[in-house]
Amino acid sequence: MSGYLDIFDVSGGGMRLERVRLETAALNIANAHTTRGPDGTLFQPLRVVARAPAPSFEHALLEGASLSGASSYQVEASGVQPRLVYDPGHPHADAQGYVAMPGVNPLVEMTQIMTAVRAYEANVKAIEAARAMAQRALDIGSR
Amino acid sequence: MELSAIQAVGAIGAPERKAETAAGAEPPDFAKWLEQQVQVADREIRTADREVQKLAVGESDNLHQVMLSLERARLSLDLIVQVRNRLLEAYQDIQRMQV
Repeated sequence: MSGYLDIFDVSGGGMRLERVRLETAALNIANAHTTRGPDGTLFQPLRVVARAPAPSFEHALLEGASLSGASSYQVEASGVQPRLVYDPGHPHADAQGYVAMPGVNPLVEMTQIMTAVRAYEANVKAIEAARAMAQRALDIGSR
Repeated sequence: MELSAIQAVGAIGAPERKAETAAGAEPPDFAKWLEQQVQVADREIRTADREVQKLAVGESDNLHQVMLSLERARLSLDLIVQVRNRLLEAYQDIQRMQV
């Protein structure tokens, strides 16, 4: 039974990562037209950099395989150049009349949202499959 | 005449009892396993209960973790229930046996 529950943990880790990706995309879109952040600087578009979980030495030694869903991820600034919009009347406009806005690409963000949702669904499917397998196994020989 | 007939029955009964004591170490192991599994299921159910409570009061923002712990609890309980069903079926089969 524990083998099936391990799959839950693995897919749960994947779901957590996809949720963070969706959160990041939502944050980028929400701040696409802000000109100043709370600390006075321009908002930087964020992206998620995820790393597959490294199997612990002990686990690899004893089990031979790594079943761990806790992938590590970092949310970091993507470093995209700000977008300059000509708006001389804006209070944050520079001497030439340009306002700097975060370089959020709506196309990229929508793609991020779509892939995050689909990948989340794929993880749910994997969990459902694991559950169905366990349930079928429990049905063996039942009258 | 009659005595020798009964003695034959006793001869059959004696080795059987010996086999019983030799295999006597097995049944407590199963009971221990079952008890352990019941405890595991109980722990899973308690965890799920706590997660749901956390979600209800707004402490948790991890919806899928709550659902996963609920599923985990259900599967653990299902295993116990199925083992119990098989045991009961076996017992009833023996109970119904024509003697």
